[in-house]
Amino acid sequence: MTVLILTCEQDVTADMVVARLDGTGVPVVRLDPADLPGGVALSGEFVHGVFRGHLSAGGRLVTMSGLRSVWVRRPGVPATRVAEPSAWLTEESAQALYGMLRSTGARWMNHPDAARQARHKPWQLHLAQRCGLPVPATLITTFPQAARDFAERFPDLVVKPVSGAHPQEPPRAVPTSRVAPETDFSAVAFGPTLLQRRVAKRADIRLTCVGDRFFAARKAVAKGADPSEVDVRFATSAEPWQPVETPPRVAASVHDYLQEAQLSYGAFDFAEDADGIWWFLECNQAGQFGFVEIETEQPIARAVADWLAAPLPDTAPHNGHVPMESVTCE
Amino acid sequence: MRPFALNYARPAPQLEVSVPYAYDSRLQLNVLPDGRLAAHDYAVLRELGATTSTAGSKTHFDD
Repeated sequence: MTVLILTCEQDVTADMVVARLDGTGVPVVRLDPADLPGGVALSGEFVHGVFRGHLSAGGRLVTMSGLRSVWVRRPGVPATRVAEPSAWLTEESAQALYGMLRSTGARWMNHPDAARQARHKPWQLHLAQRCGLPVPATLITTFPQAARDFAERFPDLVVKPVSGAHPQEPPRAVPTSRVAPETDFSAVAFGPTLLQRRVAKRADIRLTCVGDRFFAARKAVAKGADPSEVDVRFATSAEPWQPVETPPRVAASVHDYLQEAQLSYGAFDFAEDADGIWWFLECNQAGQFGFVEIETEQPIARAVADWLAAPLPDTAPHNGHVPMESVTCE
Repeated sequence: MRPFALNYARPAPQLEVSVPYAYDSRLQLNVLPDGRLAAHDYAVLRELGATTSTAGSKTHFDD
C-alpha cells in the first residue's frame, strides 16, 4: 500500500517525511497536480460496478486501490504547467484527480472538504469558542461605525487579514499589526476587516497536532521587544522555539476541535498571556512544522510519516477520517 | 478605496530565493550538490527559511 503526497517539488518539509517513509520501506508516490496533464498522468474506469484507477508520476505507477493515504501538503493548482493553461483545463484536471482520489478508501491528511471548511477564520473562532478555548474579542466588519464602537470597548487592537492570504500585484505581506489610537476606520467599508483585542503576550505557542499526537512549542517574547511587533512570523526575535507541555484542558479542547473539524493535522497558534492562559488565534490546517522540528527536535515528521503509513482501518468512514480515541502530548 | 487592512501591508519578503539544492525525481527528494539530502541539512534549511511559517505563502495561506 502506497502513500500519495501531493506537493510541489521545492517543498523540503515534505522531504523530511518522504525520507522517513523511505527509511521504513513504505512506498511513496509524490506528485504535483500542477504537472497534470504531462509529468503526471491518470486513468480511471468505472465498469461493471467497479472503479479501477491509476496514477503515474516520475516513472512510478500506482493503482488507486493501492493507496493507503493521501497527504495534501503544498499542491500546485492542477494543469498550470501545461503549454496552454486555462481555467477550464484546471477545472477538468482538478475534477479528474481529486474526484478519483475521493473514490478510494485512502485516509486523508486532510480531506479536501475538511480543509476547505477549516480555512475560514470566522468559523475557526466559532469552533474554538465552542470547544472551550479562550478567544480574544474579535470583530469582522465592513461597517466603519462598528469598528469605531469596537475600538472604544477594546482600545488596544490588532488588525489581520480575514483569510490569511497575501495580496499580489504587487506581492505584499499583511502581518498582524497594532491599530493606533484615534485611527480612522473609514476604509473598513472597502473590505471585510478583522479587528481583535491584542493579547499582551509573554510567548507565542505553536501546537502541531498529528492525529492524536500533540507537539507544543513556545517562543518567549524577548525582554525589551518592540511592542509594535505582534506577529511572530515577521518579528526579529532571536528567542528559540522550545518544547513545552500542553495544559490538559487545552489538549482536551483542541482534541474536540480536531474531531469536529474532521482534521487529521492542524497547527494551532496561541498567544500566552501573563497568567499563562493560551489564547486561540488560529488553526492552520496545513501549517508548516519544519521550523519547529528543526529548533525543538520534536519528531513531527516521524509522526506524520507514522500516520500516513498506518494500515487502513477495516471500516473507514466515507471521508477516510479516522476517529481519535485519545490524545498524546509530547 | 483601499481596504483598511492593506494600510498595514508591507513589501513581501523575498520568496523566490535561489536554493542550493535541486529536486531529484528518482528519489522524490531535494538533493544538495554533494549528494546529501537537503532535508537533513538543518543549517541550510534555517538559512533559507524554507520551512518557516511564511515559506510558500505566495501560493498557500496555511502558514
